[in-house]
Amino acid sequence: MKKLLNTAAPLAFWLLVWALCAWRVGRALLLPGPLAVGKRLLELAGTGDFWLSVGATLGRVFLGLGWGALAGTALAFATHFFPWADRLISPAIRVVRATPVVSFILLVYLWVARGAIPWVISGLMVLPVVWGALCAGLDNMDEKLLELARAYRFSRLKTLRLVCLPALRPQFAAGLLTAFGLAWKSGVAAEVLCPPARAIGSRIQQAKLGLETADLFAWTLAIVALSLALEGLLRRGLGKGERA
Amino acid sequence: MIGLRDITVRFGDKLVLDRFSLDIPAQGLTALSGPSGCGKTTLLRVMAGLAAPGGGAVSGIDPGRTAFLFQEDRLLPWRTATQHIADVLPRPRRGEAARWLAFAELEGEGGAYPAALSGGMARRLALARCAALGGELLLLDEPFAGVDSERTARILERLRGLGVPIVLATHQPQVLCACDRMIALEGPPLTRV
Repeated sequence: MKKLLNTAAPLAFWLLVWALCAWRVGRALLLPGPLAVGKRLLELAGTGDFWLSVGATLGRVFLGLGWGALAGTALAFATHFFPWADRLISPAIRVVRATPVVSFILLVYLWVARGAIPWVISGLMVLPVVWGALCAGLDNMDEKLLELARAYRFSRLKTLRLVCLPALRPQFAAGLLTAFGLAWKSGVAAEVLCPPARAIGSRIQQAKLGLETADLFAWTLAIVALSLALEGLLRRGLGKGERA
Repeated sequence: MIGLRDITVRFGDKLVLDRFSLDIPAQGLTALSGPSGCGKTTLLRVMAGLAAPGGGAVSGIDPGRTAFLFQEDRLLPWRTATQHIADVLPRPRRGEAARWLAFAELEGEGGAYPAALSGGMARRLALARCAALGGELLLLDEPFAGVDSERTARILERLRGLGVPIVLATHQPQVLCACDRMIALEGPPLTRV
């Protein structure tokens, strides 16, 4: 009960602030109230197009998260174990990390098909985060445990399985959680700027062009709700394998 | 016979072993004693092939066939006690890990992770893992730190029963008395027995 109150009270407070602001502005075109937005969200959720758009966006975000995490992991191991790879690849990844996502979206728009842009962009945002987290983990690997593995005649594969991967797990999980938020935001941003046929970002773009502010708010609410729910699931999934 | 001839080890500016020579019979229990920091651990590490001496030679030991117990437990926080033993057994047979846990009086702790073990239990698990790894020579650095005296006596007898030559470093009088021979070291730098 107390937990419910702790969650519901701040939510109610901010909904009230929103309602008061909407009432003060007095124009739904500029700021629709929470009731109007909630009603519109329910209407949208009752259509098949809503769920198809959500599904398509989720597919792109997870595709981007997947390839970005895989590439980030592979490159982290390569740059850690091979000095030449570090000299060659690390500066490029730092450039990717420092480049604004909008620049990438506009550049990638010139190079790949419109439907592929969101997942390419999501992956590009995920890659440096996972790479950085794993590099930090590899750099701080407990040398004493690695010496133990050598002294106890563990093969390389066994050392990787029993020592390196479990030691890297917390860094990988933290990196993946951060990367998921980035993948989600950058993927939707790419959909808005280069709208594919079916996507949340395309619906946001349509709402903006049609000055349908309640729709814009409703889709944004859907994004926030999905992001929080999926992050919670991911956090739970990543935490489940960890020993208490 | 294990032979150490003119072994020199230096860590930066600090000379730890200075042309140190020693012969150790390759049988029974041999204890190395001496004040803290005199070079006992370094000597064991040189014998295990974990520290390369700047000069000198070691004979009578195949580093690939020794088992070394580190001064710290070096347990893997994500592996259970049983898994720690099974990880070092070349072809673990049914019940073999449990037998090694019993060797160190850790029956019933097979499913426990290191964080759930007391200091003495963790030490015994590390010792059991080292003994399970086996080899032609066991090199043990402070094997009974934090272990009560009665258990120490029983486990020492089990170690002796393995029939493998053992060289151990210790400060504990009880362990020194139970060994077949004691080598008192002076240092640093370690130059003579």
